[in-house]
Amino acid sequence: MKGFFKKYRGMMPVFFLMLLSPALMATLQKTKDAYGLTHEIDTGKKVYQERCLICHGVEGNGKGPVDVVRRAEKTGRIIEIYSRDFTVGVFKFRSTPTGCLPTDDDILGTIADGIERSFMPSHKEVLSSEEREAVKEYIKAFSFRWEEEDPCDAITVKKPEGVDSPAFAEKGKMVYKEMKCWECHGYQGVGDGPKADDLKDDWGKQIRPFDFTTGALKRGSSPENVYITFTTGLDGTGMPAYEDSPSEEDRWHLVAYTLKLMKLKGRAE
Amino acid sequence: MKKILVFTLAVSLLIPAAAFAKRVKYEAVEVTNGGTISGKVSTTEKVKDPVISINVKAKETSEDAELERKTCITIPGGQQAMMYLVSGANEVKNVLVTIENVKKGKAAPQKDLEINNYRCRFEPLVGISYVKSKYIIKNSDPLLHNTNFGKMLKGGVKRAVFNLALPYKDQVIKKKNRVAGLIHVKCDAHPWMRAYVYSSRHPYVAITDAKGNFEIKDLLPGKYTVKFWHEGFEEVVKEIEVNGGGVSKLNATFTKTRKPAFMD
Repeated sequence: MKGFFKKYRGMMPVFFLMLLSPALMATLQKTKDAYGLTHEIDTGKKVYQERCLICHGVEGNGKGPVDVVRRAEKTGRIIEIYSRDFTVGVFKFRSTPTGCLPTDDDILGTIADGIERSFMPSHKEVLSSEEREAVKEYIKAFSFRWEEEDPCDAITVKKPEGVDSPAFAEKGKMVYKEMKCWECHGYQGVGDGPKADDLKDDWGKQIRPFDFTTGALKRGSSPENVYITFTTGLDGTGMPAYEDSPSEEDRWHLVAYTLKLMKLKGRAE
Repeated sequence: MKKILVFTLAVSLLIPAAAFAKRVKYEAVEVTNGGTISGKVSTTEKVKDPVISINVKAKETSEDAELERKTCITIPGGQQAMMYLVSGANEVKNVLVTIENVKKGKAAPQKDLEINNYRCRFEPLVGISYVKSKYIIKNSDPLLHNTNFGKMLKGGVKRAVFNLALPYKDQVIKKKNRVAGLIHVKCDAHPWMRAYVYSSRHPYVAITDAKGNFEIKDLLPGKYTVKFWHEGFEEVVKEIEVNGGGVSKLNATFTKTRKPAFMD
Protein backbone atom coordinates (compact mmCIF):
# COMPACT_ATOMS: atom_id res chain seq x y z
CA MET A 1 0.00 0.00 0.00
CA LYS A 2 2.82 2.33 0.97
CA GLY A 3 4.43 1.59 -2.36
CA PHE A 4 1.22 2.39 -4.17
CA PHE A 5 1.04 5.85 -2.56
CA LYS A 6 4.70 6.46 -3.32
CA LYS A 7 4.32 5.34 -6.93
CA TYR A 8 1.23 7.40 -7.66
CA ARG A 9 2.00 10.42 -5.45
CA GLY A 10 1.93 12.69 -8.45
CA MET A 11 -1.55 11.43 -9.29
CA MET A 12 -3.01 12.17 -5.85
CA PRO A 13 -4.65 15.47 -6.81
CA VAL A 14 -6.41 13.65 -9.64
CA PHE A 15 -7.69 10.94 -7.25
CA PHE A 16 -8.87 13.63 -4.89
CA LEU A 17 -10.68 15.40 -7.66
CA MET A 18 -12.30 12.13 -8.75
CA LEU A 19 -13.47 11.51 -5.21
CA LEU A 20 -14.76 15.03 -4.75
CA SER A 21 -16.25 15.71 -8.13
CA PRO A 22 -19.51 13.73 -7.67
CA ALA A 23 -20.23 15.77 -4.54
CA LEU A 24 -19.41 19.01 -6.29
CA MET A 25 -21.41 18.12 -9.35
CA ALA A 26 -24.32 17.08 -7.15
CA THR A 27 -24.21 20.47 -5.44
CA LEU A 28 -24.55 22.15 -8.79
CA GLN A 29 -27.00 19.80 -10.42
CA LYS A 30 -29.37 18.66 -7.71
CA THR A 31 -32.73 20.38 -8.10
CA LYS A 32 -32.39 21.89 -4.62
CA ASP A 33 -29.39 21.68 -2.34
CA ALA A 34 -29.08 22.60 1.33
CA TYR A 35 -29.20 26.31 0.56
CA GLY A 36 -32.22 26.10 -1.71
CA LEU A 37 -30.02 26.73 -4.72
CA THR A 38 -30.54 25.00 -7.99
CA HIS A 39 -28.16 24.13 -10.80
CA GLU A 40 -29.81 27.01 -12.59
CA ILE A 41 -27.54 29.40 -10.69
CA ASP A 42 -24.89 28.51 -13.26
CA THR A 43 -27.05 29.43 -16.26
CA GLY A 44 -28.48 32.30 -14.24
CA LYS A 45 -25.07 33.83 -13.77
CA LYS A 46 -24.34 33.65 -17.48
CA VAL A 47 -27.65 35.30 -18.37
CA TYR A 48 -27.21 37.91 -15.65
CA GLN A 49 -23.76 38.83 -16.92
CA GLU A 50 -24.98 39.17 -20.47
CA ARG A 51 -28.29 40.95 -19.87
CA CYS A 52 -28.56 42.46 -16.38
CA LEU A 53 -25.09 43.34 -15.12
CA ILE A 54 -24.76 46.52 -17.20
CA CYS A 55 -27.46 48.21 -15.11
CA HIS A 56 -27.83 46.11 -11.96
CA GLY A 57 -24.08 45.67 -11.37
CA VAL A 58 -21.74 42.77 -10.63
CA GLU A 59 -22.87 42.69 -7.00
CA GLY A 60 -26.54 43.13 -7.84
CA ASN A 61 -26.65 46.44 -5.97
CA GLY A 62 -28.01 48.43 -8.92
CA LYS A 63 -24.67 50.15 -9.45
CA GLY A 64 -23.82 48.84 -12.87
CA PRO A 65 -21.81 50.83 -15.44
CA VAL A 66 -25.01 52.53 -16.64
CA ASP A 67 -25.76 53.95 -13.16
CA VAL A 68 -28.55 56.54 -13.40
CA VAL A 69 -30.66 57.10 -16.50
CA ARG A 70 -32.91 60.09 -17.04
CA ARG A 71 -36.04 60.53 -19.03
CA ALA A 72 -38.14 63.60 -19.72
CA GLU A 73 -41.90 63.47 -19.47
CA LYS A 74 -44.22 65.57 -21.58
CA THR A 75 -44.81 67.98 -18.69
CA GLY A 76 -41.10 68.73 -18.84
CA ARG A 77 -40.18 67.08 -15.58
CA ILE A 78 -37.12 64.89 -15.55
CA ILE A 79 -37.31 61.48 -13.92
CA GLU A 80 -34.11 59.92 -12.64
CA ILE A 81 -34.21 56.16 -12.79
CA TYR A 82 -31.91 53.94 -10.77
CA SER A 83 -31.67 50.23 -11.36
CA ARG A 84 -33.08 47.92 -8.72
CA ASP A 85 -30.72 47.03 -5.88
CA PHE A 86 -31.26 43.27 -5.54
CA THR A 87 -29.19 42.98 -2.36
CA VAL A 88 -31.97 44.58 -0.30
CA GLY A 89 -34.57 42.15 -1.62
CA VAL A 90 -37.38 44.72 -1.94
CA PHE A 91 -39.52 44.73 -5.08
CA LYS A 92 -42.18 47.19 -6.16
CA PHE A 93 -44.15 44.98 -8.50
CA ARG A 94 -45.61 42.23 -6.37
CA SER A 95 -48.89 40.36 -6.14
CA THR A 96 -48.24 39.97 -2.39
CA PRO A 97 -49.16 42.40 0.42
CA THR A 98 -46.86 45.23 1.49
CA GLY A 99 -43.76 44.00 3.29
CA CYS A 100 -43.79 40.61 1.60
CA LEU A 101 -41.36 39.01 -0.76
CA PRO A 102 -42.61 38.86 -4.32
CA THR A 103 -43.69 35.51 -5.71
CA ASP A 104 -41.45 33.81 -8.27
CA ASP A 105 -44.09 34.62 -10.87
CA ASP A 106 -43.89 38.32 -9.97
CA ILE A 107 -40.16 38.39 -10.69
CA LEU A 108 -40.57 36.28 -13.82
CA GLY A 109 -43.28 38.68 -14.98
CA THR A 110 -40.98 41.69 -14.64
CA ILE A 111 -38.15 39.87 -16.42
CA ALA A 112 -40.45 38.81 -19.25
CA ASP A 113 -42.45 42.02 -19.71
CA GLY A 114 -39.96 44.66 -18.66
CA ILE A 115 -41.11 47.89 -16.97
CA GLU A 116 -42.98 50.64 -18.77
CA ARG A 117 -41.43 54.13 -18.77
CA SER A 118 -38.18 52.79 -17.35
CA PHE A 119 -35.31 51.33 -19.29
CA MET A 120 -36.02 47.78 -18.18
CA PRO A 121 -36.64 45.94 -21.45
CA SER A 122 -38.81 42.91 -22.13
CA HIS A 123 -36.97 39.59 -22.26
CA LYS A 124 -39.77 37.49 -23.66
CA GLU A 125 -38.17 37.19 -27.08
CA VAL A 126 -34.51 37.20 -26.12
CA LEU A 127 -34.48 34.64 -23.31
CA SER A 128 -35.96 31.17 -23.16
CA SER A 129 -38.27 30.39 -20.25
CA GLU A 130 -35.47 28.21 -18.77
CA GLU A 131 -33.06 31.15 -18.93
CA ARG A 132 -35.60 33.50 -17.34
CA GLU A 133 -36.18 30.94 -14.59
CA ALA A 134 -32.43 30.60 -14.05
CA VAL A 135 -31.72 34.32 -13.89
CA LYS A 136 -34.62 34.77 -11.45
CA GLU A 137 -32.93 32.27 -9.09
CA TYR A 138 -29.64 34.10 -9.52
CA ILE A 139 -31.30 37.45 -8.69
CA LYS A 140 -32.92 35.98 -5.56
CA ALA A 141 -29.53 34.77 -4.34
CA PHE A 142 -28.28 38.38 -4.05
CA SER A 143 -30.42 38.99 -0.96
CA PHE A 144 -30.53 37.35 2.46
CA ARG A 145 -34.23 38.10 2.59
CA TRP A 146 -35.32 34.82 1.04
CA GLU A 147 -33.42 33.00 3.78
CA GLU A 148 -34.79 35.15 6.57
CA GLU A 149 -38.47 35.50 5.71
CA ASP A 150 -41.37 33.23 4.97
CA PRO A 151 -43.27 33.78 1.73
CA CYS A 152 -46.76 35.35 1.65
CA ASP A 153 -49.76 34.37 -0.43
CA ALA A 154 -50.57 36.39 -3.53
CA ILE A 155 -53.65 38.61 -3.42
CA THR A 156 -56.44 37.36 -5.67
CA VAL A 157 -57.90 39.98 -7.95
CA LYS A 158 -61.46 39.51 -9.24
CA LYS A 159 -62.55 42.21 -11.62
CA PRO A 160 -66.30 42.89 -11.48
CA GLU A 161 -68.50 43.93 -14.41
CA GLY A 162 -68.72 47.60 -15.24
CA VAL A 163 -65.19 48.84 -14.61
CA ASP A 164 -65.31 50.66 -17.95
CA SER A 165 -68.62 52.40 -17.18
CA PRO A 166 -68.79 56.20 -16.61
CA ALA A 167 -70.73 55.55 -13.38
CA PHE A 168 -67.76 53.62 -11.94
CA ALA A 169 -65.32 56.36 -12.93
CA GLU A 170 -67.59 59.04 -11.44
CA LYS A 171 -67.70 57.23 -8.10
CA GLY A 172 -63.97 56.65 -8.36
CA LYS A 173 -63.39 60.38 -8.50
CA MET A 174 -64.85 60.63 -4.99
CA VAL A 175 -62.66 57.74 -3.80
CA TYR A 176 -59.59 59.52 -5.23
CA LYS A 177 -60.56 62.53 -3.12
CA GLU A 178 -61.35 60.59 0.07
CA MET A 179 -58.24 58.42 -0.09
CA LYS A 180 -56.29 61.66 -0.58
CA CYS A 181 -54.47 60.33 -3.64
CA TRP A 182 -54.21 64.00 -4.70
CA GLU A 183 -51.77 64.72 -1.86
CA CYS A 184 -49.06 63.25 -4.10
CA HIS A 185 -50.64 62.60 -7.50
CA GLY A 186 -52.27 66.04 -7.74
CA TYR A 187 -55.81 67.24 -8.24
CA GLN A 188 -55.67 66.52 -11.98
CA GLY A 189 -53.60 63.35 -11.61
CA VAL A 190 -50.45 64.75 -13.20
CA GLY A 191 -48.24 63.93 -10.21
CA ASP A 192 -47.96 67.49 -8.87
CA GLY A 193 -49.77 67.22 -5.51
CA PRO A 194 -48.82 69.26 -2.42
CA LYS A 195 -46.46 66.47 -1.24
CA ALA A 196 -44.98 65.65 -4.65
CA ASP A 197 -41.64 67.40 -4.11
CA ASP A 198 -40.84 65.86 -0.72
CA LEU A 199 -40.67 62.19 -1.62
CA LYS A 200 -37.60 60.02 -1.25
CA ASP A 201 -37.22 56.28 -1.67
CA ASP A 202 -35.55 53.91 0.79
CA TRP A 203 -32.18 54.56 -0.87
CA GLY A 204 -32.56 58.31 -0.14
CA LYS A 205 -33.13 59.23 -3.79
CA GLN A 206 -35.78 61.72 -4.80
CA ILE A 207 -38.79 60.11 -6.45
CA ARG A 208 -41.80 61.46 -8.31
CA PRO A 209 -45.43 60.40 -7.99
CA PHE A 210 -47.00 58.87 -11.09
CA ASP A 211 -48.42 61.25 -13.69
CA PHE A 212 -51.52 59.33 -14.77
CA THR A 213 -51.74 61.25 -18.04
CA THR A 214 -48.59 59.48 -19.29
CA GLY A 215 -51.06 56.63 -19.82
CA ALA A 216 -48.62 53.88 -18.93
CA LEU A 217 -48.46 52.34 -15.47
CA LYS A 218 -45.02 50.90 -14.81
CA ARG A 219 -46.18 47.38 -14.07
CA GLY A 220 -48.66 47.40 -16.97
CA SER A 221 -51.93 49.26 -17.41
CA SER A 222 -54.60 46.56 -17.14
CA PRO A 223 -57.40 47.19 -14.58
CA GLU A 224 -55.97 44.33 -12.50
CA ASN A 225 -52.56 45.98 -12.46
CA VAL A 226 -54.03 49.30 -11.30
CA TYR A 227 -55.93 47.45 -8.54
CA ILE A 228 -52.90 45.54 -7.33
CA THR A 229 -50.63 48.63 -7.41
CA PHE A 230 -52.57 50.68 -4.85
CA THR A 231 -53.60 47.60 -2.87
CA THR A 232 -50.05 46.32 -2.34
CA GLY A 233 -48.27 49.66 -2.48
CA LEU A 234 -44.84 50.04 -4.05
CA ASP A 235 -42.46 48.92 -1.31
CA GLY A 236 -39.31 50.99 -1.02
CA THR A 237 -41.08 54.10 -2.32
CA GLY A 238 -43.52 56.56 -0.76
CA MET A 239 -46.51 54.82 -2.33
CA PRO A 240 -48.25 53.11 0.60
CA ALA A 241 -50.50 50.08 0.45
CA TYR A 242 -54.19 50.91 0.59
CA GLU A 243 -54.89 47.48 2.02
CA ASP A 244 -57.21 48.57 4.87
CA SER A 245 -59.26 51.08 2.89
CA PRO A 246 -61.18 51.69 0.60
CA SER A 247 -63.82 48.93 0.35
CA GLU A 248 -63.54 46.27 -2.35
CA GLU A 249 -66.31 48.01 -4.31
CA ASP A 250 -64.61 51.39 -4.11
CA ARG A 251 -61.31 49.86 -5.19
CA TRP A 252 -62.84 49.11 -8.58
CA HIS A 253 -64.37 52.58 -8.72
CA LEU A 254 -60.88 53.95 -8.14
CA VAL A 255 -59.52 51.66 -10.86
CA ALA A 256 -62.11 53.05 -13.25
CA TYR A 257 -61.23 56.65 -12.40
CA THR A 258 -57.51 55.91 -12.70
CA LEU A 259 -58.02 54.40 -16.15
CA LYS A 260 -60.03 57.50 -17.10
CA LEU A 261 -57.15 59.74 -16.00
CA MET A 262 -54.86 57.53 -18.04
CA LYS A 263 -57.27 57.89 -20.97
CA LEU A 264 -57.52 54.12 -21.12
CA LYS A 265 -61.22 53.80 -20.43
CA GLY A 266 -61.92 52.20 -23.77
CA ARG A 267 -59.20 49.64 -23.20
CA ALA A 268 -60.35 48.74 -19.73
CA GLU A 269 -62.28 45.65 -20.77
CA MET B 1 -3.99 19.89 -4.43
CA LYS B 2 -3.71 23.28 -6.11
CA LYS B 3 -6.10 22.14 -8.82
CA ILE B 4 -8.70 21.20 -6.24
CA LEU B 5 -8.38 24.53 -4.55
CA VAL B 6 -8.75 26.39 -7.81
CA PHE B 7 -11.76 24.29 -8.77
CA THR B 8 -13.45 24.71 -5.39
CA LEU B 9 -12.80 28.43 -5.51
CA ALA B 10 -14.22 28.67 -9.01
CA VAL B 11 -17.37 26.82 -7.94
CA SER B 12 -17.82 28.95 -4.84
CA LEU B 13 -17.51 32.11 -6.91
CA LEU B 14 -20.47 31.02 -9.01
CA ILE B 15 -22.78 31.32 -6.02
CA PRO B 16 -23.56 34.76 -4.60
CA ALA B 17 -22.62 35.06 -0.94
CA ALA B 18 -26.19 35.75 0.17
CA ALA B 19 -27.11 32.17 -0.67
CA PHE B 20 -25.20 31.00 2.38
CA ALA B 21 -27.16 33.09 4.87
CA LYS B 22 -29.08 31.25 7.51
CA ARG B 23 -31.93 32.26 9.76
CA VAL B 24 -30.87 33.60 13.12
CA LYS B 25 -32.13 31.22 15.77
CA TYR B 26 -33.15 32.09 19.31
CA GLU B 27 -33.85 29.38 21.83
CA ALA B 28 -36.49 30.12 24.48
CA VAL B 29 -35.84 28.35 27.78
CA GLU B 30 -36.92 28.58 31.43
CA VAL B 31 -34.68 31.04 33.28
CA THR B 32 -34.43 30.77 37.05
CA ASN B 33 -31.92 32.77 39.06
CA GLY B 34 -31.01 34.91 36.04
CA GLY B 35 -28.76 37.95 36.14
CA THR B 36 -29.50 41.64 35.57
CA ILE B 37 -27.74 44.40 33.65
CA SER B 38 -28.60 47.90 34.81
CA GLY B 39 -27.08 51.30 34.32
CA LYS B 40 -27.31 54.83 33.06
CA VAL B 41 -26.67 56.54 29.73
CA SER B 42 -25.20 60.04 29.63
CA THR B 43 -23.66 62.43 27.14
CA THR B 44 -20.37 64.32 27.54
CA GLU B 45 -21.76 67.44 25.90
CA LYS B 46 -24.92 69.37 26.62
CA VAL B 47 -26.94 69.32 23.41
CA LYS B 48 -29.88 71.50 22.46
CA ASP B 49 -33.03 69.96 21.06
CA PRO B 50 -33.59 71.41 17.56
CA VAL B 51 -36.83 72.85 16.19
CA ILE B 52 -38.21 71.30 13.01
CA SER B 53 -39.50 73.98 10.67
CA ILE B 54 -42.70 73.06 8.88
CA ASN B 55 -43.86 74.67 5.69
CA VAL B 56 -47.35 73.57 4.62
CA LYS B 57 -47.81 73.92 0.87
CA ALA B 58 -50.92 75.33 -0.77
CA LYS B 59 -53.84 72.96 -1.32
CA GLU B 60 -56.96 73.16 -3.44
CA THR B 61 -58.84 74.87 -0.63
CA SER B 62 -57.33 77.12 2.00
CA GLU B 63 -59.32 75.16 4.63
CA ASP B 64 -57.37 72.02 3.74
CA ALA B 65 -54.06 73.81 4.13
CA GLU B 66 -55.19 75.46 7.36
CA LEU B 67 -56.26 72.10 8.80
CA GLU B 68 -52.80 70.70 8.15
CA ARG B 69 -51.13 73.77 9.61
CA LYS B 70 -53.28 73.58 12.74
CA THR B 71 -52.63 69.86 13.16
CA CYS B 72 -48.91 69.77 12.49
CA ILE B 73 -47.52 73.05 13.77
CA THR B 74 -47.31 72.87 17.55
CA ILE B 75 -44.87 75.69 18.30
CA PRO B 76 -44.28 78.85 16.21
CA GLY B 77 -42.84 77.75 12.86
CA GLY B 78 -42.99 74.01 13.41
CA GLN B 79 -42.39 71.37 16.05
CA GLN B 80 -39.89 70.60 18.75
CA ALA B 81 -37.79 67.67 17.48
CA MET B 82 -37.84 65.90 20.88
CA MET B 83 -34.57 64.34 19.75
CA TYR B 84 -32.25 65.40 22.57
CA LEU B 85 -34.15 64.76 25.76
CA VAL B 86 -31.23 65.33 28.10
CA SER B 87 -31.54 65.98 31.85
CA GLY B 88 -29.67 68.65 33.83
CA ALA B 89 -27.15 65.93 34.76
CA ASN B 90 -26.64 65.07 31.03
CA GLU B 91 -28.66 61.84 31.27
CA VAL B 92 -30.20 60.77 27.96
CA LYS B 93 -33.78 59.57 27.48
CA ASN B 94 -34.97 57.27 24.66
CA VAL B 95 -31.75 55.29 24.20
CA LEU B 96 -32.36 51.79 22.87
CA VAL B 97 -30.33 49.31 24.89
CA THR B 98 -30.12 45.97 23.14
CA ILE B 99 -28.19 42.77 23.70
CA GLU B 100 -26.65 41.78 20.41
CA ASN B 101 -25.43 38.23 20.95
CA VAL B 102 -28.13 36.58 23.03
CA LYS B 103 -28.97 33.13 21.64
CA LYS B 104 -30.79 31.62 24.54
CA GLY B 105 -33.04 32.91 27.30
CA LYS B 106 -36.62 33.68 28.26
CA ALA B 107 -39.34 33.67 25.63
CA ALA B 108 -40.28 37.09 24.25
CA PRO B 109 -43.56 38.43 25.64
CA GLN B 110 -46.63 38.65 23.43
CA LYS B 111 -47.02 42.40 23.71
CA ASP B 112 -48.45 44.57 20.96
CA LEU B 113 -46.98 47.96 20.14
CA GLU B 114 -49.24 50.87 19.29
CA ILE B 115 -47.83 53.54 16.99
CA ASN B 116 -50.01 56.60 16.90
CA ASN B 117 -49.87 59.33 14.25
CA TYR B 118 -50.72 62.29 16.46
CA ARG B 119 -50.22 65.94 15.55
CA CYS B 120 -47.87 64.91 12.77
CA ARG B 121 -45.48 62.98 14.95
CA PHE B 122 -45.26 59.32 15.88
CA GLU B 123 -45.98 58.31 19.43
CA PRO B 124 -43.92 56.75 20.86
CA LEU B 125 -40.73 58.02 19.25
CA VAL B 126 -38.85 54.90 20.36
CA GLY B 127 -40.61 51.59 20.92
CA ILE B 128 -40.04 47.89 21.42
CA SER B 129 -41.95 45.21 19.55
CA TYR B 130 -41.65 41.44 19.61
CA VAL B 131 -41.63 39.17 16.58
CA LYS B 132 -45.01 37.41 16.16
CA SER B 133 -46.85 40.05 18.24
CA LYS B 134 -48.77 42.87 16.55
CA TYR B 135 -48.25 46.45 15.52
CA ILE B 136 -51.32 48.61 16.03
CA ILE B 137 -51.03 51.57 13.70
CA LYS B 138 -53.38 54.44 14.45
CA ASN B 139 -54.09 57.77 12.79
CA SER B 140 -55.42 60.38 15.23
CA ASP B 141 -55.12 63.24 12.72
CA PRO B 142 -57.70 64.39 10.15
CA LEU B 143 -54.97 64.11 7.48
CA LEU B 144 -53.47 61.47 5.22
CA HIS B 145 -50.60 59.76 6.97
CA ASN B 146 -48.70 56.75 5.78
CA THR B 147 -46.72 54.59 8.16
CA ASN B 148 -43.67 53.30 6.36
CA PHE B 149 -41.55 50.76 8.27
CA GLY B 150 -38.04 50.06 6.97
CA LYS B 151 -35.48 47.76 8.56
CA MET B 152 -32.22 49.66 8.86
CA LEU B 153 -29.49 47.81 6.97
CA LYS B 154 -25.78 48.55 6.75
CA GLY B 155 -24.79 51.53 4.65
CA GLY B 156 -27.87 53.60 5.48
CA VAL B 157 -30.12 51.52 3.21
CA LYS B 158 -33.55 50.39 4.38
CA ARG B 159 -35.57 47.30 3.61
CA ALA B 160 -39.32 47.88 3.48
CA VAL B 161 -41.18 46.06 6.27
CA PHE B 162 -44.55 47.51 5.25
CA ASN B 163 -45.96 50.84 4.15
CA LEU B 164 -49.58 51.50 5.06
CA ALA B 165 -51.89 54.30 3.97
CA LEU B 166 -54.11 55.80 6.68
CA PRO B 167 -56.29 58.36 4.92
CA TYR B 168 -58.92 58.58 7.69
CA LYS B 169 -58.92 60.06 11.18
CA ASP B 170 -59.13 57.32 13.84
CA GLN B 171 -58.23 54.61 11.34
CA VAL B 172 -56.53 51.64 12.99
CA ILE B 173 -54.59 48.91 11.17
CA LYS B 174 -53.16 45.85 12.86
CA LYS B 175 -50.14 44.18 11.33
CA LYS B 176 -48.27 41.11 12.47
CA ASN B 177 -44.61 41.68 13.31
CA ARG B 178 -42.68 39.38 10.96
CA VAL B 179 -39.24 41.01 10.88
CA ALA B 180 -36.61 41.38 13.60
CA GLY B 181 -34.17 44.27 13.79
CA LEU B 182 -33.94 48.02 14.19
CA ILE B 183 -36.72 49.62 12.21
CA HIS B 184 -37.04 53.19 11.01
CA VAL B 185 -40.60 54.47 10.74
CA LYS B 186 -41.45 57.36 8.48
CA CYS B 187 -44.41 59.14 6.95
CA ASP B 188 -43.76 60.10 3.36
CA ALA B 189 -46.47 62.76 3.48
CA HIS B 190 -44.67 64.51 6.38
CA PRO B 191 -40.92 63.99 5.96
CA TRP B 192 -40.00 65.17 9.45
CA MET B 193 -42.04 62.40 11.08
CA ARG B 194 -39.95 59.51 12.37
CA ALA B 195 -39.96 56.78 14.98
CA TYR B 196 -37.68 53.86 15.80
CA VAL B 197 -38.80 50.39 16.71
CA TYR B 198 -36.58 47.61 17.94
CA SER B 199 -38.25 44.40 16.84
CA SER B 200 -36.91 41.58 18.99
CA ARG B 201 -37.04 37.78 19.13
CA HIS B 202 -36.13 37.93 22.83
CA PRO B 203 -37.14 40.05 25.84
CA TYR B 204 -33.68 41.56 26.46
CA VAL B 205 -34.25 45.11 25.23
CA ALA B 206 -34.78 48.36 27.14
CA ILE B 207 -35.33 52.08 26.57
CA THR B 208 -33.79 54.60 28.95
CA ASP B 209 -36.10 56.78 31.04
CA ALA B 210 -35.81 60.55 31.62
CA LYS B 211 -32.93 59.90 34.05
CA GLY B 212 -31.08 57.80 31.48
CA ASN B 213 -31.69 54.61 33.47
CA PHE B 214 -32.33 51.14 32.08
CA GLU B 215 -32.58 47.60 33.40
CA ILE B 216 -32.52 44.24 31.61
CA LYS B 217 -33.48 41.27 33.80
CA ASP B 218 -33.53 37.46 33.75
CA LEU B 219 -30.44 36.88 31.63
CA LEU B 220 -28.70 33.53 31.65
CA PRO B 221 -25.15 33.83 33.02
CA GLY B 222 -22.62 34.63 30.34
CA LYS B 223 -20.75 37.32 28.42
CA TYR B 224 -22.93 39.77 26.51
CA THR B 225 -22.44 42.53 23.96
CA VAL B 226 -24.65 45.51 24.75
CA LYS B 227 -25.43 48.19 22.19
CA PHE B 228 -26.59 51.71 23.07
CA TRP B 229 -28.41 53.29 20.13
CA HIS B 230 -29.83 56.79 19.81
CA GLU B 231 -30.83 58.66 16.64
CA GLY B 232 -28.78 61.72 17.54
CA PHE B 233 -25.59 60.11 18.91
CA GLU B 234 -22.95 57.76 17.54
CA GLU B 235 -23.67 54.37 19.07
CA VAL B 236 -21.68 52.82 21.89
CA VAL B 237 -21.05 49.06 22.21
CA LYS B 238 -19.88 47.43 25.46
CA GLU B 239 -19.11 43.95 26.75
CA ILE B 240 -20.26 42.69 30.13
CA GLU B 241 -20.33 39.51 32.15
CA VAL B 242 -23.54 38.47 33.88
CA ASN B 243 -23.66 36.09 36.86
CA GLY B 244 -26.67 34.11 38.05
CA GLY B 245 -28.71 36.14 40.54
CA GLY B 246 -26.32 39.11 40.33
CA VAL B 247 -26.63 42.67 39.08
CA SER B 248 -23.98 43.86 36.62
CA LYS B 249 -23.65 47.64 36.43
CA LEU B 250 -23.08 49.06 32.97
CA ASN B 251 -23.03 52.77 32.23
CA ALA B 252 -22.50 54.27 28.79
CA THR B 253 -21.51 57.74 27.64
CA PHE B 254 -22.15 59.24 24.23
CA THR B 255 -19.31 61.44 23.02
CA LYS B 256 -20.33 62.25 19.46
CA THR B 257 -23.58 63.56 17.98
CA ARG B 258 -24.90 62.69 14.53
CA LYS B 259 -27.54 64.11 12.24
CA PRO B 260 -30.45 61.75 11.57
CA ALA B 261 -32.02 61.58 8.10
CA PHE B 262 -35.16 63.54 9.01
CA MET B 263 -33.01 66.63 9.71
CA ASP B 264 -31.84 66.81 6.07
